[in-house]
Amino acid sequence: MATLLRTCEPFDLRGLSSARRFEKEKRKPNPSRVLYQRRSQRSSFRAAMAAEGLKKGIAEFYNESSGLWESIWGEHMHHGFYDTTTPASFSDHRSAQIRMVDEALRFACVPEDSSKWPKRVVDVGCGIGGSSRYLAKKYGAQCQGITLSPVQAQRAQALAVAEGLADKVSFQVADALDQPFPDGHFDLVWSMESGEHMPDKNKFVSELTRVAAPGATIIIVTWCHRDLSQSEDSLKPDEITLLNKICNAYYLPEWCSPSDYVKIAESLSLKDIKTADWSDNVAPFWPAVIQSAFTWKGFISLLRSGWKSIKGALVMPLMIEGYNKKLIKFTIITCRKPE
Amino acid sequence: MRLLTHNMLSSNVKGVVNGFPLRLEASTWVEKEVDFNADFLRSVFPKIDWPALFGASQTVGYVALPESADASMLESEDFLKKFHHALLEIHVEEGALVCPETGRRFPINKGIPNMLLNEDEV
Repeated sequence: MATLLRTCEPFDLRGLSSARRFEKEKRKPNPSRVLYQRRSQRSSFRAAMAAEGLKKGIAEFYNESSGLWESIWGEHMHHGFYDTTTPASFSDHRSAQIRMVDEALRFACVPEDSSKWPKRVVDVGCGIGGSSRYLAKKYGAQCQGITLSPVQAQRAQALAVAEGLADKVSFQVADALDQPFPDGHFDLVWSMESGEHMPDKNKFVSELTRVAAPGATIIIVTWCHRDLSQSEDSLKPDEITLLNKICNAYYLPEWCSPSDYVKIAESLSLKDIKTADWSDNVAPFWPAVIQSAFTWKGFISLLRSGWKSIKGALVMPLMIEGYNKKLIKFTIITCRKPE
Repeated sequence: MRLLTHNMLSSNVKGVVNGFPLRLEASTWVEKEVDFNADFLRSVFPKIDWPALFGASQTVGYVALPESADASMLESEDFLKKFHHALLEIHVEEGALVCPETGRRFPINKGIPNMLLNEDEV
């Protein structure tokens, strides 16, 4: 199976990333001050990241920014799904986020027949539990959500209590790469925009597979980079640079392509593997998020939240750039664990 | 954390062969009423590890559960009510889940277990 392309600086410093190796080979000797500053900025960034650790960084990012997001965008921390033909107004965004969940379930062919609804759901990277609560209500299922952020887990639980769902949904602080659940426990395994945080995509999908019951549906909605063409070994240098900046702000360890996910699923003998590019269906989202940051409420909340949130906000135009360049692909991958 | 959740969590510390069940330590717990649903209880019963549920309920002072149970007991309303109470109505707020092999403690704060491992435990 092809090695996954490492597009972002590794959070531990054991060995150089292929991205940095690429930069070293291609760069001509140039003693300019700008280059020296960039080098020392990069090395201090890498040192800082190594010290902090990826998981801690993700937890702190969401501890800090979750409340801000919720106050403006509500309980769903994921893209909305939009028609490509009609322009979207601000009032459409919350219903678009709910539509994203429904479209993912439909794409995965989760049955409409209530006798075949999932009964036990795991929400991997659950945020403040928007998907967990929605799936619990929709299917009457028991949902377990896991997140690295204690603040998110607490908020998720509080919202569940407020909605009268404390008997159906539970949240834990846990690692998606080491889930504290037994093998084969869940009949719906759900990962909505958390895959991009996983440093080891193989381990990520392996764990999703492990906790899936025979016949269970696995749904992954995540940010990928474009598939490489036959003649390519890696993304272009400017593409890697762009993704690196995004990785830095959002605590993303690496990107892979939709084909990489398909290959991993195949290697795990998963069945009915399907994937789609929904980039056009999420296009209105980032411009809307940027617009919300420029409201008075958004701006003040951002300043209050802290540097990690501000950095995340500053990088939002790069997400739009990535989509416009067809570099970033909003991807769904669904499959089934064999019976 | 409900005992239903306790019944599905296990220790994933590196090298642990059987990390289930986690021993429950509960310093604070509350009881919250939940709507009784016999169909749900009957459907979830086969998935429940009864000794783990029994042990956890003893820890929080609920002694009404029988030490062992089989599917025939699901006909009894009295049994179902006790099962319902133990599984869904007891919420551990503060305490810990302890790995049965290593003694590693996973804290429970405000009802949320923290199952994260340190780098050297993975």
